[in-house]
Amino acid sequence: MPTLDDEFLVTLLHDVGESFTIPPSGPSAVLRRVHRDDDESAGRRRGAGGAGHVGEGVEGADSGEPAPPSARTARRTVRSTVRSHRILTAAAVVLVLLVAAGSAAVLGSGAPTANRFGHSAGPATATPRSGFGVAHTPATTKVAGSGSTGSAAAVPAPATSAAPSISSAGTASKGATTENSPQLGADAVGQPARIEQTGSLDLSVARGAVSATVGKLDALAGDNNGFVATSQTHSGASGGAPSGTVTLEVPVASFSAALGEAESLGKVSQLTTNATDVTAQYVDLQSQITALEASRQQYLTIMTKASSIGDVLAVQAQLDSLQSQIQQLQGQLAVLGSETDYSKLAIGVSETAAPPHHRAAAAAPSGLAKAWHDSVHGFVAGTEGLIRIAGPALFALLCLGAALLGGQLFWRRLQRRNL
Amino acid sequence: MVEHRLEDWLEEGYAGSFRTACLILGNRADAEEAVQDAFLRAWRFRDALTSVPSVKPWLYRVVVNSCYSKLRQEIPHRDHRAEDAELAERMASASASDPASSAERSEVAGVVLAALQRLPVSLRVPVVLRYYADLSERDIALAIGRRPGTVKSRLHEARRRLADDPDILLLGANGALDDPVEA
Repeated sequence: MPTLDDEFLVTLLHDVGESFTIPPSGPSAVLRRVHRDDDESAGRRRGAGGAGHVGEGVEGADSGEPAPPSARTARRTVRSTVRSHRILTAAAVVLVLLVAAGSAAVLGSGAPTANRFGHSAGPATATPRSGFGVAHTPATTKVAGSGSTGSAAAVPAPATSAAPSISSAGTASKGATTENSPQLGADAVGQPARIEQTGSLDLSVARGAVSATVGKLDALAGDNNGFVATSQTHSGASGGAPSGTVTLEVPVASFSAALGEAESLGKVSQLTTNATDVTAQYVDLQSQITALEASRQQYLTIMTKASSIGDVLAVQAQLDSLQSQIQQLQGQLAVLGSETDYSKLAIGVSETAAPPHHRAAAAAPSGLAKAWHDSVHGFVAGTEGLIRIAGPALFALLCLGAALLGGQLFWRRLQRRNL
Repeated sequence: MVEHRLEDWLEEGYAGSFRTACLILGNRADAEEAVQDAFLRAWRFRDALTSVPSVKPWLYRVVVNSCYSKLRQEIPHRDHRAEDAELAERMASASASDPASSAERSEVAGVVLAALQRLPVSLRVPVVLRYYADLSERDIALAIGRRPGTVKSRLHEARRRLADDPDILLLGANGALDDPVEA
């Protein structure tokens, strides 16, 4: 591979270099600048030692111009740094954005995570942290437990304190007469919390025990001062497995107890509880009714003073309209009150048996099919795992790259500054 | 402690630093500013001289850093036609001052300077420091903050690119170069 001769290059570059004439004022300009810089530094030192004028700038001895204020100097320094380290700045911005996005994602997913009753989480972790909001605050708790142990953790803890929590709301009963009914804070609406609580439970029982279990559930409703809203039982005569569905409505205060008793009747395959704070809605309805009744009272007063038939009819029309609105709102209030007085618990009962697709798989005689099924399942699981870790891995790689880039630039800068 | 005098530095190093900066930047005005910045910076940090083995590579390192800063800040916004005009004017003035002997030399110098400017900065700086400033590979490594092996490979690559440069080849074909290419 041909390259240029060293001596030739030396001669050539010296020729080229020598062709640049030295500016006669060059060294003197450097001297002037260095002396001015020295004077400014000395002035700054004097200013810093003065009576509290640090960073305010002092006058240069030669130029007579005031030194730039510290804020301007800092801005200039930052601007210069950003300009001379564009890549580093861009990396820092990307990093900050990523961290902010990650934090937002974590914070965004934090609330439902805190409200979720985990499979293996103890009662302490199962207690949601969300407080009662004046507005609708969905406080949903979900459990897809496969065993009774997991589902036990899903039972809201009994309310033993006045601390506002959804778990205590779960056992709240109507009105302020119940001792363990959670009270809102002094700055709240002054109403006991209105919590609408529902639950769904799937039970697996022994063969032939479906009917007996449904009967026990009926009795359970009575024991907890509730009632059976719906009840369905399939005997399995048509070919399917025997099963039953019972919907219980029990007082809110008895919800936890009823849930616990129902769980003890079989093996829990799924449990879902849902608590929604409807206090704000309830108070809003009450306020509207109060306002409408006040208006109605005023119209009644006007009615007594009406002298002509036209006036009477006009006032009567208004009164009719108000009465209609009041009754409509009272109906809504009653429904809401009923929903918060009684918790609905839907319980599905089925016999313990392998699910149909499991039975089909078990019935498959070929080991090859099972191997194929396992293989596909493993492939899908592996792909899912890869996709799941791709996000964090990408984030980590970006962070690492930004850190390496920053470190490299910093190291180079440090080396240049040291020499 | 050795007493440093700025006047001594300037007397010894200004010309070399200025021409080095000219070769790196290809622009006289930028080179003058870069050298001013470099001397100012070097003077501010003269205390660091106690920890370095020799002044020359240290000073060149400061100059090179200043040139890098200038390249980052100024070059993207500059009109390159102005550089070409300046180069042509400089060559013309050189030819006018010594028309008989330096015309061909100036032409060669202009072509080489242009070829030098076509090299990437990472190759141009070692070439200038090696073949103009006469720094050793070790000192160049110190000056640009790279390993000596990197400097060696960059010098080799720069020589190869210069040898492949069509203008340099043309000069060789015209007999301006006295068999400068080695295998």
